[in-house]
Amino acid sequence: MDIVIALTINGLIWGLIVALIALGLSIIFGLLDIINVAHGDFFMVGTVLGLVIAGTTGFWIALVLVPLLGFCLGLVIERLVIRPAISSASLTIVITFGLSMILQEAVRATLGPQPRRMAAPVEGTIHLFGIDYDVYRLFAALFAALAIAGFFLFLSRTTLGTWIRAVRHDRETATALGIPVTLVCAFTFALGTALALLGGVIAAPITTVDFRAGIDILPVCFMAVVIGGLGNLKGTVAAAVLLAVMEGVVSAFADPTMARISSLVVMSFVLLARPHGLFAGATR
Amino acid sequence: MNAPLAHPVVGSTVLDVKGLQASIGRVPVLRGVDLNVGAGETVALLGRNGVGKTSTLRAILGLLQRRGGSVAFQGADIGRLPAYKLSGLGIGYVPQGRGIFPVLTVEENLFLGLRSAPDPELVEDIYTRFPRLAERRFQAAGTLSGGEQQILAIGRCLMRKPSLILLDEPTEGIMPKLVAEIRREIAAIAKRGVAVLLVEQNVRTALALASRIYLMERGQVVHEATSHDLTTDPSTIHRYLGVAL
Repeated sequence: MDIVIALTINGLIWGLIVALIALGLSIIFGLLDIINVAHGDFFMVGTVLGLVIAGTTGFWIALVLVPLLGFCLGLVIERLVIRPAISSASLTIVITFGLSMILQEAVRATLGPQPRRMAAPVEGTIHLFGIDYDVYRLFAALFAALAIAGFFLFLSRTTLGTWIRAVRHDRETATALGIPVTLVCAFTFALGTALALLGGVIAAPITTVDFRAGIDILPVCFMAVVIGGLGNLKGTVAAAVLLAVMEGVVSAFADPTMARISSLVVMSFVLLARPHGLFAGATR
Repeated sequence: MNAPLAHPVVGSTVLDVKGLQASIGRVPVLRGVDLNVGAGETVALLGRNGVGKTSTLRAILGLLQRRGGSVAFQGADIGRLPAYKLSGLGIGYVPQGRGIFPVLTVEENLFLGLRSAPDPELVEDIYTRFPRLAERRFQAAGTLSGGEQQILAIGRCLMRKPSLILLDEPTEGIMPKLVAEIRREIAAIAKRGVAVLLVEQNVRTALALASRIYLMERGQVVHEATSHDLTTDPSTIHRYLGVAL
């Protein structure tokens, strides 16, 4: 029973981190209409930068610095890679797939092929529901939840957030009303990238730092976006948490591959019953 | 062929379009549109479906790729400016279908795209003129009726203190009792000295609101006349639009 509780809590925590990364994927898809195959690798770069920067300046500085670097990286990638190909959806898939390989090989060339582990900035365990649980995992959940809440506050309370919501709905009218749509798209891509890197630095102490980490997380993020209803940000968060908790529970009884298969089965049934996702029609 | 200008424009020329050409993909939709609108004047573009009325508005705003010709606003060429900068110059746009953002509140819609804090007097004026918007200011705009959304779109336009408003089918799909209110509002806007370029399928509404009419066919203005002339000689309307007055 203890293992089920532990894996459920793990799933919940992991779900919040996945939700953070999937939010980035979802907002990029919703605004730019591109399927960013390299998004998982942005997460991976976050874990790597987290490891490197935390190793020299400490974890807390890395927690602030890595998403800022992610934002800058996103701005550069949007300008050099995404914008020239934006008019063709199929081309953006190919181009981001190429970007994904470049990021993976760049990390393998510099950091090496061996997975690494990063020490948690907060040591110790806490007694929770009858089990001893890593304190840092709770911190990770808190950081992810705060970042998600901050993201939604930004969208609903700031001028730029309102512009993003407007451009998502109707970019032509938004342009006619004086919104610089190209800049809003660049900012949104950078914001989505920053969220993925933030997810990476938060997750680095509870996962392995590996150049292939993005390959594993990308399908879960895509499933969360699809099950949540394409472009539905709150749906994406709910679906990410649901999927991760379910995978956590299933992996208590079966191996992780079976857990992933269960997610795919759930996604298939959801799409059969509700082709536009579980939360389609809800407020976006 | 363009008919000679039937009447001089009311005030100084606000919008002057010459030889405007545009295409969607490789298909040309505008083949040299010439028109002008003066301050305080309401001018309507009439024509059958697909002749390029909406495309003319979109090309003026830079939302459609221009292939030739010129667009001057208050004497200055705006052809090379990015589309998003035109709103700041004082060009308002009410698109077909109203262009309301349903997930934003009424007030967010009203202030959307403004580069400075909304002028409180203007906000007060708009809420006084349109009390239904004031009542629903914090409500999602998607919950408003079609007519209320159209009033919101016009109010949003006025927040920019425009010198020129481009209106695309403002009475389309609106309940008859609100159509009269919208018509009154458009007339009031022009009386304040704002130039209005109106695209309208409803010939009676266009003739009632506009002092001059441009008739379009196949991406060109083919006839220009005053509303008075078209009302007294309905054969022109019948010839170009296939409808009787």
